[in-house]
Amino acid sequence: MRVKYVLSEVLVGLWRNVTMTIAMIITLAVSLTMLGVSGLVYSKVDDMKDLYYKNIQVSIFLKGDVTDQQRTDLETKLKSDSLVKEVLYVNKDEAYKRFQEMYQDAPDLVTAVKPDQLPESFRLTLVNPEQYKSIYDQYKDTEGVDEIVDQSRLLDKIFDLFTAGQNIALAGAIAMAIAALLLVANTIQVAAYSKRREVAVMKLVGASNWFIQAPFVLEAVVAGLIGSFLGLGALIALKFFLFDGSLSALQGLFSPVTWSDIFLMFPIMAGVGALVSAVTGWTTLRFYLRV
Amino acid sequence: MTKTYPKASRPSLDNVSVSIEKGEFVFFIGPSGSGKSTIIKLLLHEVTPNKGRVIVNSKDVTSMRSWKRPHFRRSIGCVFQDFRLLPNRTAYENVAFALEVIGKTKAVARRVVPEVLELVGLGGKEHRYPHELSGGEQQRVAVARAFVNRPLILLADEPTGNLDPDTSIEIMRLLDRINRTGTTVVMVTHDSNIVNQMRRRVVEIESGRIVRDQARGVYG
Repeated sequence: MRVKYVLSEVLVGLWRNVTMTIAMIITLAVSLTMLGVSGLVYSKVDDMKDLYYKNIQVSIFLKGDVTDQQRTDLETKLKSDSLVKEVLYVNKDEAYKRFQEMYQDAPDLVTAVKPDQLPESFRLTLVNPEQYKSIYDQYKDTEGVDEIVDQSRLLDKIFDLFTAGQNIALAGAIAMAIAALLLVANTIQVAAYSKRREVAVMKLVGASNWFIQAPFVLEAVVAGLIGSFLGLGALIALKFFLFDGSLSALQGLFSPVTWSDIFLMFPIMAGVGALVSAVTGWTTLRFYLRV
Repeated sequence: MTKTYPKASRPSLDNVSVSIEKGEFVFFIGPSGSGKSTIIKLLLHEVTPNKGRVIVNSKDVTSMRSWKRPHFRRSIGCVFQDFRLLPNRTAYENVAFALEVIGKTKAVARRVVPEVLELVGLGGKEHRYPHELSGGEQQRVAVARAFVNRPLILLADEPTGNLDPDTSIEIMRLLDRINRTGTTVVMVTHDSNIVNQMRRRVVEIESGRIVRDQARGVYG
């Protein structure tokens, strides 16, 4: 009977102040969606880092006047280096071929460049791509070396962009969460006010504190859960229309956002939504109801 | 026992000591602001004394933790000048509410509530809403609600303050009947008529001090 009483109080409470309830649910939903997006970006960036760093290479370009001796010395040194997993030598012709492939859309550029003008290079795959710096320090002054280029520097810039995007989503989530918190607090206050007679009688006859507070706190929790369901819906829509829709051309670039990624975000969103609402509701009651 | 409210220039109750036996009927009288109502608040553990102790039902409630308060209050019934009924509930529902929120089942309520409404003289009016009842009848509902849980103590804070003299007397008869069941009744009032008619113990308070404590007293 008590459970039934509490549940019916929750429904009545949500309905009594329905405009506020809707506002509360929408802000919670937006906040949780942004949290979900941020979480997805976070897990995707990790995936992509793994994927990209595995194939990342450090290129050591050689000077045009490099001697055979210098080249052989360098190659021996690189091959015995414990930081290096694989060494690939690219001579001028191969470099030219790659160049042609890369710029096949710009034939003028290709014809303007002669195989001679392209430097020879060693392409290194590192055991650990993060150790680029020590490779750089070690070989930058070696005879015959012109320049050392690390692709991961470039990738880092791309990932910095992703991280920035993730941070923006997170900041948005936090801003919306604050708005949601205030709405939850306000809704609870209104609810407590409209039930002040009942609460006064309950306190007087000795109803336990949890029994007085539960309907209010649950009201907030239910709103939080509804908000997280809406957030899940928004993420599904995002995947459907954005990743599988207009952004599907970029699929080769990103690691794909799978359905399981999205459904794995849901417990986090629901948990955060429910917990944050409950804590806010309960704290509000501590100040407002003084049971 | 002394109780000073924050910001008050003098204590609401100053070094007051009263002992009330089980089953007694006691009036606390005195002018407004004399500290009578503070006694009710102390007994309900709504406020705590600055000095001294409050002992209710042989339990020291002076430093009772607030989470124990709900259970403690179940042994005390309470009636007020303004009835404090829920306007959107019938007489029956108002009384049943007090049972249900402390975890009693609907079956218990169905058995006990009609009994107690009969006791307070409201048989047949169970399904009236407060606005369909007279002041005296509303106060009867409030008494029924306070008594339905069979408390050891009934606190009444000016229960006749809003009632005409005849109705007041009826309410007093009711409180007297409840007292005869063994329930201790503590009543705060400044209704001299009632005090004079009842001839029960009277404790007079003035400016936070007890100036008279008299068995079978009058308003004076």
